[in-house]
Amino acid sequence: MGDMIARITDATAGLEMERIPSLLQEALQAGVQPFEVLGALSAGMVKVGDLFSEGKYYLVDLVLAGQIMKEALEILEPRLAVESLGGKGTVVLGTVKGDVHDIGKNLVANMLRGCGFRVIDLGVDVPPEKIVEALKTSGARALGLSVLLTPMVQSVADTVSALKAAGLRDRVKIAIGGACTTPELGRRMGVDAVGRDPIEAVRIFESFLAE
Amino acid sequence: MSAVHERVLAALERREPDRVPTFDVMEEYANIYEILGRRPFPTGFLFTNRWTSRIVDKTAGLLNRSQIFFAEMDRFSYDRTEAAVKMGYDAAWVMHVPIWKFQDSKVAVDIYGRQYDVIVDGRGNLATPMYKKGLIASPQDWYGWDKRDLFRLPERANRAFRRIQKDLGDRIFIMPGFLFGLFENTWQPMGFERFAVALRKEKTFVRRVIRFYRDHFCLMLEAWADAGVPGAVYTDDMAYRSGPMLPPALMEELYGDAFRHITETAHALGLKIVVHSCGNVMPLLGWFADCGFDGVHALEPTAGVDLAKVKQLVGDRLCLIGNVDITHILVDATREEVFEAVRKSIAAAGHGGGYMVAPTNSHHTMSVERLRWMLEAVERYGRYPLDLSVPRNPD
Repeated sequence: MGDMIARITDATAGLEMERIPSLLQEALQAGVQPFEVLGALSAGMVKVGDLFSEGKYYLVDLVLAGQIMKEALEILEPRLAVESLGGKGTVVLGTVKGDVHDIGKNLVANMLRGCGFRVIDLGVDVPPEKIVEALKTSGARALGLSVLLTPMVQSVADTVSALKAAGLRDRVKIAIGGACTTPELGRRMGVDAVGRDPIEAVRIFESFLAE
Repeated sequence: MSAVHERVLAALERREPDRVPTFDVMEEYANIYEILGRRPFPTGFLFTNRWTSRIVDKTAGLLNRSQIFFAEMDRFSYDRTEAAVKMGYDAAWVMHVPIWKFQDSKVAVDIYGRQYDVIVDGRGNLATPMYKKGLIASPQDWYGWDKRDLFRLPERANRAFRRIQKDLGDRIFIMPGFLFGLFENTWQPMGFERFAVALRKEKTFVRRVIRFYRDHFCLMLEAWADAGVPGAVYTDDMAYRSGPMLPPALMEELYGDAFRHITETAHALGLKIVVHSCGNVMPLLGWFADCGFDGVHALEPTAGVDLAKVKQLVGDRLCLIGNVDITHILVDATREEVFEAVRKSIAAAGHGGGYMVAPTNSHHTMSVERLRWMLEAVERYGRYPLDLSVPRNPD
């Protein structure tokens, strides 16, 4: 059984997209618990993240890993207890109002899901009021905002202001990421962290929700 | 040959000119018309006004067929070159992109199979549309996509650049460009997630698309060369802040031969050719040089590109162009900050020639005043032999 778990982890880390579905079916039929399979996939995603950080994997590899995870979750989700999913906490994600780019945001969403977070993905061009509503309804303590283009930076400030006005800012930690974001911009916008890539995003949200 | 042409050519050939040349990348109506002192018809309002947008919604097909927006593109390319001349730039990357058709007042589709949101810049001008998603979900979609407008591009570009070159070509080194390069044209019409899977499962199809756009780009090169321009920009974003989107070895496997074919064609036609890519291109620079490009543009400091390292790595093989930040320096920085940014860039890459000062990109919140400061700073720090010990206070 341990061998099966290791094979799933290695196949995920090796981006062996074609092998994963049969490996999952094989493991489940052999009696491996769905949450153990999920753990094996997550361990593979962590390895993918490490390889990306080491410069051995590229953006396309992260996207492929995300696709692998997405397809694997379609097989696993019906068999998993709700509490097995999103054990690390809930993150609300969205691309800010005025910006419709979604590659970076989708990557972060897939990596977070793969690493054990529950993700509420609000999509692109998300107005501040929709973000506030999602945070209130879900009780999430972490928010990730994606912004690619400099002209849309004001939307980050507008969202931070909306959280303050709704009395949520003390409870919710905010991270931003995207091509135009820099630590200096993060300070100016009054957010808590700026992520350079999806792997750093995972670490940031782990630290946010561990507090 | 004019002094401006000699200056730019020297930089492109990694020789030392009389001063570091300047390279313009302006692509936004607001700045262009501010420079020209004109008040253009605010086309963008047609798309946002409650009443006129309804007319656009109902008549989009007719407007597309009338080619009114393509004619507008000819005017835009001419005006932006004229604005570059007026600013005193030495070279200009002149985009001529008659590729968009409007579905209605909110959505545009390009001739390659991408969907966009229509963007208005807040001053009534249409800005560059924002890519939303791809419309090519399968090889069958791609084979079935109407490509007639693609083959009209060379003729349209030739006509537009003949006029621009004739009127302005002796005062500025004109380098045409169009959207999109081979990499973006392979992945964007299908979306990056779909593309990542296609690279595993449909590589032959991906290669066919690359070959198609390689040949199409060569037709564009012929059209530009026939118009008499001296150079071209190959525009293709291949990197994000985290680095190249694909492993460099895979880029070589898929695109290497095509890029070499493009640069060889450009050189055979007498054109210099520069590659533009946003993002952290550090791992791709040597490959760009191997592929035969004469220069590389963008070199974004905010993406982690270290210009001094770039100079060290490929300064003897590529002309370096850009590096002036557009997230802060050319948006809301002080005059002192702009001068210092330019001084630092010239200090990093100017020695021995082979560098042109330029913004890394263009967007509508950039300030014309700061672009002027950038050009002033080049006059102050960019004369050869370089003297970068000039007191930092620009006044």
